Amino acid sequence: MSTTLSRRTLLSGLAGGAVLLSLTGCASAVDAEGSGEPQEGGTFLGAIGSDLVPANFYTNSNHGVTTIIGLVFESLVHYPNDSLKAEPRLAESWTISDDGLTVTLNLRKDVKFHTGRALTSDDVKFSLETYADPKWNGQLKSTAAAIKEIDTKDPNVAVLRLAHPLGNILDLLEIVPIVDKETFAGIADGSKYVGTGPFKFDKWTPNARLQFSKNPDYRVAGRPYLDAVDIAVVADATAQANQIRGGQIDYAYGISNLDVERLEKTGKISKIQLTGAETQIYVGTNVTAEGLKDIRVRQAIAYALDRERILAEVFRGSGYTANLPWPKTSPAYDEKLNSTYTRDVAKAKELLADYGKKVPTLKYNYQSPSPLFEATAQIVQANLKEIGIEVELEPLDAPTFVAQLIGGKFAGLWTTYHSWAQYTPSTLTVSAYPFNALKNTSHFSSDDYTKHADAAWKQLKGDSPEAIESYAALSKDLLDNLFLIEIAIIENRWAVSERVKGVGYTKRLELVLTDAQLTG
Amino acid sequence: MTTATLKAPARPRAKRGALRGGRGLVGVVLVGVVVLAGLLAPLLAPFSSQEQIPGANLLGASGTHLFGTDEVNRDVFSRVLYGIRIDLFICLVAVPAGALLGGLVGLVASQTGPSDVVAQRAFDVVLAFPPIILGIGIAAVTGVGVLPVVCVVIGAEVPLFGRLVRAATLKVRELPYVDAAESMGASRTWVLRKHVLPNILDSLIVQLALSASGAVFISSAMNFIGIGVRPPEPSLGGVLADAMAQLGANTMYAVGPLAVIVVLVLGFQLIAQALVAARRGEAS
Amino acid sequence: MTSYVLRRLPSLGVVLFVSSLLIFAVLRLVPGDPATALAGANATPDVVEAIRKELGLDRPWATQYVQWLGGLLTFDTGRSYLIGGTIGALVTDALANTLLLTGSALVLAVIAALVLGTVWAGTRKPWLDNLLTGANTLAVAVPTFVMGVALILVFGIFFPVLPTGGVPRDGLLANPSITFQYLLMPAICLALPVGAVLTRYVAESLRTELAQPYVVTALAAGVSRRRVLVRHALRNILPTSLTVLGLQTGALLGGAVLVEFTFSWPGLGLLIERAVTGRDYPVVQVLLMLSVAVFAVLQLLTDVAHALLDPRVRLGGAR
Repeated sequence: MSTTLSRRTLLSGLAGGAVLLSLTGCASAVDAEGSGEPQEGGTFLGAIGSDLVPANFYTNSNHGVTTIIGLVFESLVHYPNDSLKAEPRLAESWTISDDGLTVTLNLRKDVKFHTGRALTSDDVKFSLETYADPKWNGQLKSTAAAIKEIDTKDPNVAVLRLAHPLGNILDLLEIVPIVDKETFAGIADGSKYVGTGPFKFDKWTPNARLQFSKNPDYRVAGRPYLDAVDIAVVADATAQANQIRGGQIDYAYGISNLDVERLEKTGKISKIQLTGAETQIYVGTNVTAEGLKDIRVRQAIAYALDRERILAEVFRGSGYTANLPWPKTSPAYDEKLNSTYTRDVAKAKELLADYGKKVPTLKYNYQSPSPLFEATAQIVQANLKEIGIEVELEPLDAPTFVAQLIGGKFAGLWTTYHSWAQYTPSTLTVSAYPFNALKNTSHFSSDDYTKHADAAWKQLKGDSPEAIESYAALSKDLLDNLFLIEIAIIENRWAVSERVKGVGYTKRLELVLTDAQLTG
Repeated sequence: MTTATLKAPARPRAKRGALRGGRGLVGVVLVGVVVLAGLLAPLLAPFSSQEQIPGANLLGASGTHLFGTDEVNRDVFSRVLYGIRIDLFICLVAVPAGALLGGLVGLVASQTGPSDVVAQRAFDVVLAFPPIILGIGIAAVTGVGVLPVVCVVIGAEVPLFGRLVRAATLKVRELPYVDAAESMGASRTWVLRKHVLPNILDSLIVQLALSASGAVFISSAMNFIGIGVRPPEPSLGGVLADAMAQLGANTMYAVGPLAVIVVLVLGFQLIAQALVAARRGEAS
Repeated sequence: MTSYVLRRLPSLGVVLFVSSLLIFAVLRLVPGDPATALAGANATPDVVEAIRKELGLDRPWATQYVQWLGGLLTFDTGRSYLIGGTIGALVTDALANTLLLTGSALVLAVIAALVLGTVWAGTRKPWLDNLLTGANTLAVAVPTFVMGVALILVFGIFFPVLPTGGVPRDGLLANPSITFQYLLMPAICLALPVGAVLTRYVAESLRTELAQPYVVTALAAGVSRRRVLVRHALRNILPTSLTVLGLQTGALLGGAVLVEFTFSWPGLGLLIERAVTGRDYPVVQVLLMLSVAVFAVLQLLTDVAHALLDPRVRLGGAR
């Protein structure tokens, strides 16, 4: 009896001790203490919410890709986050001919890929041509496809010949990462990413982790400061929030805005507001659907939406309400136009009364699971009920939603994000499918809109007075026809710990750590 | 056990007795409270389940809002009360439907050799998919909603009842006096009605109670992973899933639906256990 | 007995074949395909067509089915569309994580069943009996994901001492004490229902065993009750308890899907969820076939166990 007892006691003692040790002792999985000393080099630890999808290299659609591109690759020119004034990057200078048909790019001569090979104009040609291939789904592929020919006679000069003037050609040059022609196959399966950026790609462990190390031969002397970057894929937002609160990570991409707010109150964590890399949330309408066919019904919806509430409660005020896609940094932004439709229930009811008929129950699709879309859709539903329009919510999983979006199969309304309005305005109308002038989800077409979109695209300079006039015409088309009813322009947020300084981002939400330092 | 299953007439009283005291009674009370709360939701709930209360964004628990409010300003307590209804509805529709369908298939299939084999293998195929995987698949085809949940519950119940009825049928028909009756020209339907049905009734009732518990599990799990009832309609699992994104803001938001699910499945489980115990007590 | 198993084998093949047809067809009935999943909300129709061609989805279904089946038979399952790498590697990694989780849960369940089952059977204190009965019923009844949320609330939100999800950055092998903390909550969740069923079985069998003449004799001879219980009774019921444990394996694997979902544990359950959401046909197909195979074999073993107990099943089937 005594042997049994003692064995049992021993066992339970062991188990309990192990629990205690691990919960309170040296190595905890939820807490880590910094030394407080400033560091040279060091490893930057972060977490992202969605893993890399290799086939989506050019689409910026997951956190894995934006992390890799931001750290490993560079583009030819660079836009600061708050404007569209291009700065030199891999191209040290460029000229655009007066007729707008020839772009000459003078490449830096001190740039080497991580394999040690020097950058040449051939790589530029390869990168731009690959980007134009539809299978890579690049957002500006129609712009890239308008490049007829790339002259690479001089390895340090790339000459682009365009089919017609492109008002957004610099957008393309700022967006396309310059890849190493020789190792490109590795990008397709996620095994090898060779660029010219401050960090070298080491390893991707699917569903788990992305690892990078310092590029010692980076073209900017003394950069980067960090020795290594180690980004874990943590899909669970609560887990991410707990990790950054416990000091295990210094950077989190995927925490809800509300939780970022709460973390800020601890004083040890601050947010990075991603101004300049905005996304837009909108209500799309199928303009061929019964009821929605009539512009008065669409106007009534635009007046009924409680944009302030959606922005404040769903997005915690991170952004501003909108009627047009353009963010404040865009040359097309016009404060007056942007507040054409504000909440006015009486006016909405008046418009519906004027319409006269009963609007049939509208289907309303959104992507699920997503707490943000679900909350937005439910608020919109309540808003429309107020003016007498019944809405039936129909959540769809991501591929179904996309299939219906691309196929133009939405029966009534839908809500999702769009992006790319932070670039030259014409980029939006020739790329983002919901805005596409020729064929779009709303089944909307008008000769004016097509003409204005084309005119904006073919401007010689994206920020000239004539260009701005052409954007105003586009804005007017959007407001008059309301096939997409904007709700708000949203700025995403990252959370960073007080230990790191100098974390940067690009207009495409890419992580930039060239100047980042650990302080303790 | 075999002798006990033959004393059919005495059983119903024993069954009711099982639920008059002990865990049976506790089970009945637990289920009863939740059912009543669901039925009386319009009287008990301080708000409508879909009313968005201006300014009440993710409030914590208080006197006005027992479980606080959710991300679109609705009273969580009211949503939980109304949410009970949809889960009970699924139980009430899908479990009997699955039992009936499964029982019929089991009964009919066991009459001939080949049909028995086909039915058995069909059950195997269905059982080879865990219910949640089955749910993900069905919801992907039909779209989310109550329909896939009902389908999955039925799908999970059919093989269970089918196998139960089949085994009982085979067992009864092996009995010497049934064999004798059949050889004297008794019809198959007579045998089924007179001997098979009364003998499997009690195991059917136990299985029904277990299945009700399982149905609440499946429906709340499917709502939890977002392939069940469509918003803004509340369901227990759906409210719990929404709460997961807001754990930091309002914890009662999660605790409320969680408690109700626990009480409900626990109640059904206790009823089933009491019924099993009663049957066993009889046997000894 | 052998003849019974042999008789069942062809039908196992039929189940697998029918399932493969079902899986292939149903996947293609689901709206949205890998191309739309990859293309995302900003794509244009020509992009989707280009991706479809690239993935070979423009070929006839029959061709695709035969190719897949051929691949399965030669163990060449191809590559994932969505997640990089070969399916073999993906499945192996996820399988290892799932096995670690279910294995830990199994260990927890067995320990709990042996300790609590013995205590339960041996106790003569009504309050302890009631407590164990109550706890047992609760553990059987509460859905795994509900228990998961409850644990996350307690140990992740109220007292943030345990990680609420995922796996350690360095993987599961680097630091066992860290891995242990990540594993604790999901393993407990998964272990509870299985452990409860097993505990109840152990307790009831022990009670039956305690009524046996040899126990009465031993007790009369002055052997302590605890010694009889642990040394003799427990040893006697181990073989049948193992069978019951085996029969619970299916429940364990099914439960793992939800537990992995709740705790973002990167096992087979999470992989299949991600693959379905991304319409990653090759991955979904392989995982579902794997699941069908495992469950069909488990089903066969269960039936064999039943056949061993009931000769009528073994000999007759339907008359």
